[in-house]
Amino acid sequence: MASDSSPANLHGRPSSPDDSISSPIGNTFSSPGDATRRKRGRRSSAATPTPPPPHHSRFAADAVTPTPSTSRRRGRSASMSSPPPPPAAAAATPSSADEAPPSSEGDEADDAPPPMFVWGTNISVQDVNASILRFLRHFREHPSHTEGKYMRAIHHVIDVEGDSLDVDAHNVFDYDTDLYTKMVRYPLEVLAIFDIVLMDMVSRINPLFENHIQARIFNLKTSTSMRNLNPSDIEKMICLKGMIIRSSSIIPEIREAIFRCLVCGYYSDPIVVDRGRINEPTVCGKQECLAKNSMTLVHNRCRFADKQIVRLQETPDEIPEGGTPHTVSLLTHDKLVDAGKPGDRVEVTGIYRAMSVRVGPSQRTVKSLFKTYIDCLHLRKTDKSKMQKEDAMEIENGSSRNEEDNPVDYEDKVEKLRELSRLPDIYERLTRSLAPNIWELEDVKKGLLCQLFGGNALKLTSGASFRGDINILLVGDPGTSKSQLLQYIHKLSPRGIYTSGRGSSAVGLTAYVTKDPESGETVLESGALVLSDRGICCIDEFDKMSDSARSMLHEVMEQQTVSIAKAGIIASLNARTSVLACANPSGSRYNPRLSVIDNIHLPPTLLSRFDLIYLILDKADEQTDRRLAKHIVALHFENPETSQEDALDLPTLTAYVSYARNHIHPQLSDEAAEQLTRGYVEMRRRGNFPGSSKKVITATPRQIESLIRLSEALARIRFSELVEKKDVMEAFRLLEVALQQSATDHSTGTIDMDLITTGVSASERMRRENLLSATRNLIMEKMQIGGSSTRLLELLEELKKQSSGAEVHLSDLRNALSTLASEGFVTVHGDSVKRI
Amino acid sequence: MVGLPYDCLANPLGAVRLTFDKAVASSGSDPTTFNGRDWGATDIFRDFLFDNGGLSQVPILNATNLRWIQPNTLVRFRGMIQDMLGNEFYVGAYKDGATWRTNKFTDVSQFPMDSSADTRIWERRLLYCVPVPGQNSWTESSSEVVLNPYVNWISPTREKRQREDNASTDDVDDVDMQVSDHEIQDSPCTKKMREGGPVSLSSHLEESTTEGTCPSTSMVFDFDRNSFPCLVKVYDSLEADLKLNDVFEFVGVLTFDLEPSVDKADCDEFTSTLCEDELSHSPPSKVPRLHCLVHRKLAVHDFLSSSPIMEPKSNLVKEMRETLLGHLTAVLGNDGVAAHFMLLHLLSRVHARVDTLAVGKLSLNLTGFNKENVSIFGNRLNLAVKNLVPFTYFMPLTVDYLNTASLAPRKDYETSRLVSGVLQLAEGSHMMIDETHLQAGTLNSVGVENARLIKNLMELQKVEYDFKYYKMEMEADVQLLILSEGKSNILPADLVLPFRPLSVESCEIGDAEALKAWRWYLASLKSLPHSIEPDMQKVVEDDLVAARQADRSLGSQDFSRWLTMGRLMSVSFGETSLSLEHWQMVKELERLRRERLQLKIN
Repeated sequence: MASDSSPANLHGRPSSPDDSISSPIGNTFSSPGDATRRKRGRRSSAATPTPPPPHHSRFAADAVTPTPSTSRRRGRSASMSSPPPPPAAAAATPSSADEAPPSSEGDEADDAPPPMFVWGTNISVQDVNASILRFLRHFREHPSHTEGKYMRAIHHVIDVEGDSLDVDAHNVFDYDTDLYTKMVRYPLEVLAIFDIVLMDMVSRINPLFENHIQARIFNLKTSTSMRNLNPSDIEKMICLKGMIIRSSSIIPEIREAIFRCLVCGYYSDPIVVDRGRINEPTVCGKQECLAKNSMTLVHNRCRFADKQIVRLQETPDEIPEGGTPHTVSLLTHDKLVDAGKPGDRVEVTGIYRAMSVRVGPSQRTVKSLFKTYIDCLHLRKTDKSKMQKEDAMEIENGSSRNEEDNPVDYEDKVEKLRELSRLPDIYERLTRSLAPNIWELEDVKKGLLCQLFGGNALKLTSGASFRGDINILLVGDPGTSKSQLLQYIHKLSPRGIYTSGRGSSAVGLTAYVTKDPESGETVLESGALVLSDRGICCIDEFDKMSDSARSMLHEVMEQQTVSIAKAGIIASLNARTSVLACANPSGSRYNPRLSVIDNIHLPPTLLSRFDLIYLILDKADEQTDRRLAKHIVALHFENPETSQEDALDLPTLTAYVSYARNHIHPQLSDEAAEQLTRGYVEMRRRGNFPGSSKKVITATPRQIESLIRLSEALARIRFSELVEKKDVMEAFRLLEVALQQSATDHSTGTIDMDLITTGVSASERMRRENLLSATRNLIMEKMQIGGSSTRLLELLEELKKQSSGAEVHLSDLRNALSTLASEGFVTVHGDSVKRI
Repeated sequence: MVGLPYDCLANPLGAVRLTFDKAVASSGSDPTTFNGRDWGATDIFRDFLFDNGGLSQVPILNATNLRWIQPNTLVRFRGMIQDMLGNEFYVGAYKDGATWRTNKFTDVSQFPMDSSADTRIWERRLLYCVPVPGQNSWTESSSEVVLNPYVNWISPTREKRQREDNASTDDVDDVDMQVSDHEIQDSPCTKKMREGGPVSLSSHLEESTTEGTCPSTSMVFDFDRNSFPCLVKVYDSLEADLKLNDVFEFVGVLTFDLEPSVDKADCDEFTSTLCEDELSHSPPSKVPRLHCLVHRKLAVHDFLSSSPIMEPKSNLVKEMRETLLGHLTAVLGNDGVAAHFMLLHLLSRVHARVDTLAVGKLSLNLTGFNKENVSIFGNRLNLAVKNLVPFTYFMPLTVDYLNTASLAPRKDYETSRLVSGVLQLAEGSHMMIDETHLQAGTLNSVGVENARLIKNLMELQKVEYDFKYYKMEMEADVQLLILSEGKSNILPADLVLPFRPLSVESCEIGDAEALKAWRWYLASLKSLPHSIEPDMQKVVEDDLVAARQADRSLGSQDFSRWLTMGRLMSVSFGETSLSLEHWQMVKELERLRRERLQLKIN
């Protein structure tokens, strides 16, 4: 308790927790009279040996005029509000502080300042002052830096004539944990000292600098949820996240008033707001005049400050089940006014305050209620900080947003995810966790998993870009839970949009131009694909989509942009989205005798843009039926939780995916690249059967891109920065599984990419060519140029005789003849053929 | 004075103060140790209400008796939590001179509070409650103290008596007196109950018939009833206890604000904007406040006038089932199959959620209605359901309605209130949608959204609440019955059944005793637990596999429906595990249904 504030003093918290809670409250809120006007600026008068602050201190609504006497008043500052205001002189020492500071003799001496304590606590003003100074002077982010971080910042603020200094609370914590604790527990007092220290430093650096610099603290170690705010948080510094739902209009608040005498025109000195009131002088200040009740306010010479009341609401992810979102009011000043618009997600640092509500003006009874609000110190848009992370695929309800706020938590989480990723069976485990109530379809799920993780997008300096998103098409019989898979992925994926092909139009998917009903201006509205930029766009009933809508997808799926040229707007919007589509076969059930194209009825150009095409066929298999039956019975009669024990729950899975997408960017290893080339060559070679004249292309360059994407995604699943050989092998396997089902030429049993690209298999093409040449030969043989015409059926008979064994259809012959006719070899009139 | 030293009923705050003083004295005169938590006050009330049967003496607050119930007395309010208004900080305890006083359970302090006094700030939750949407009038006859609005013609005398009663209890704390009081109150009540049943029913009948011809009246009726909200202030409760749309009974202290109008002139702009909150939009003169001492969640049971305690397995249940089935058959024009499905439908509830799936729901779509017979059977069915289920809602679906109605609850940021929508329903509500009036027309964006909302409710049992900047899904548990001409494609129900009435003879409502029994039957069997024996499980599985082998078009949805039906079928007999017999019945029902569907197509 000695005058030179000992460290013991610093560390000695108030012993009982009640004191720390109750004292500030009890004194700050008990006054009904000016409770509404109370501002934290009051405490800016805390005594220091430094020159008194200029009038316009922070929240200077009632800043006390800087006279030497204010330093004496410091001790009373908290209790000043209790009416009647005590005479300043009587306030030299706190009247009821539990630890009364020693009444020092040197009250006015600058060189030996008396130990001052924040009222009701044992926090020494000098100590805090010194530690803030130390912090500002010496804090360095890196030991290598020569100049302190905040010294640089202060110089910068002076250079740009700013009026605030952003202080990262993490830095404070790292440098001086004790100061941090004090700041959070007694923010009013500590911040007032902070401001004074800053001002002192600024005036030393540049004595001519006029602005008053305020410290804006942000990024506290712990952030509270709006729901958990409770009386013990009052008068504490808190940090919370929310969404702005309403902003009031800007309220000008008077800070300094100037009056003019109506009689003699004398202007009074600026009168500063005192406890929320301006004391209008009753007598003219001029000695010659001294007219009574003659002073009038001169509005345009008064000083006003901006003020705004903002309503903040909980974000959806913080609301527990069966609850409604909580709201809280924010009081913002000056620079923070209009810092956020309704709809913005923000992170707010401020002081939680409460004020009492009176029943009526004349009522002595105070309603025992308090209205709470947050005096805003710092406001940061969280959306914005997300946008800066260019490649971030942020998850609305995932953990990525907590990243900056809760580093400790976040580290824990990451560590857990990393632990998960080290499991040898993580790939299988994730597959199991994906839509656990849909069984079988292991390979489809693996494909979907790859889609969720995605590959690396590549942009070459030449401007060419390669997408990293994996597109998947599911084709299958009705009732094979395609839609459920889609729904699941939609729920899991960040920024997923779910649409149904039947209800989607081209403009609804891409973007459209509308006239704003109010202003009449044309505005661009984003469609589903643009909205799911960096997400997954799930399109159900892809086959039912209109052709015009589908054709819009061409650009999106390869170039990943949407171009609009309409009503004077020419724009190209990003649509870096993965497409997950599902379709029913054209004849409601898959016909194995027809090709995929015939079954799906989708243009081949579009089909080739899908990396993986899965056929989910409903095989009449008793085994699967039994599993289905078991599953459903269990669903209805047993505890559903028992089914999957080592699967990841949805939030973990989401967090895992988002972390991988944000932080893991695997590169191909040499070994993997080699394997990729080898595999690709092998795949292409497989089309060339020795001794066969048939040319079957089994893989196209598109497939090698798909393979790279898939193997990158597989590496991501393992949190590996390197694509290894086994990833490539698995990618090949996945592709082949998908291809084998969809690109099998049913007449030869081999994989044939032509089936996808043109819809006609190589063997079919060969058969047609054979028929064509046979017909040509036949006509050459039998008919003369310009001779009589032959009937079609006769030709057919002849052909059948020649090509013993192979069935020749009339339609095939017609096709062949029309080809010949186009060559100018024959003319066909109805049923008769004539050579020309 | 025998018994309690205070009167919980007329002077609950006195009891609170007494316990507070006691607690302060025992804890060494510092209430900070409570930190807003309970110090034993609610125990007293729990004892009084539940162990000593005091609950029935507490009047249930409603629009009629609000005018004459004394403030600061104990009342109860039954309602649904419609909105949560967040937490409120108040001076929980303060020092009046040397003694500690508490403000818990009141709005205004009892003793003048010195502004400089030592105070403690505590918090409480604000809940905005409304009567349960679509609550049927018969549920109110269960309140033994307060009359239901349909028998208002005897109310003047009752009111008077009540006032006297109140006055007497105010003055005299005599236990004997209270007992006799209670007796006086009881006797007319029971009498009223006997005559009350049919009376309310007949009035109900009138009301329903008007509803049928002019559907809009039903809504007016509902909204009128809903306009009796109550602001409940809840102390010491876990957040998870009280959820949106839960139906609760709150017992607490009724208060009015002494100063009804806050002088706005005094509040400067700053205060008014900052203070602008929920309360200013619901003036205390209109919305009574209840400082809740005890709350309990209500089940359907609590709305029954008298709960005959019965073993669900007894023969009585089977008898009830038969009579109820007979009643439903009569209502449905002797269509026995439809009556069976109807019974299962009325017993359904969501008993588990797996991912997006709501297990246990069984929505029913009766097809084959046209404009002529919907006016007969639709109304009859509506009336029957209203008489059986406590909360019902009837929705006449037209293009116009879809385009204009606000189905989803929506947050109004101007007033900071959740504006209730039609689909904000309590758990276990029944909703009947009449699609027969739907004509071809164009849906606007509201209409499309509304159609999607109903569809979501039907498929997932979830309703999206519109919070302007985002939407929030709330789980619901609503039984949906759709009447339509053909299979409803907008609203895909679990069960589609062509309706085949054989006669249009009118049927009687059933006497009050029977209705009571049926209500009890539905309420208690609905909540029965259920399981399956391993060998039965095997049988079911084999059946499913065989069915799928025979017909590939059967999917998991069909199986799910079968199992739900199986469960409900055995539940309807009061069994807790599925038996082969009931499973066969389900299969038979399903066969009959398929037959009808086939016929429909041909």
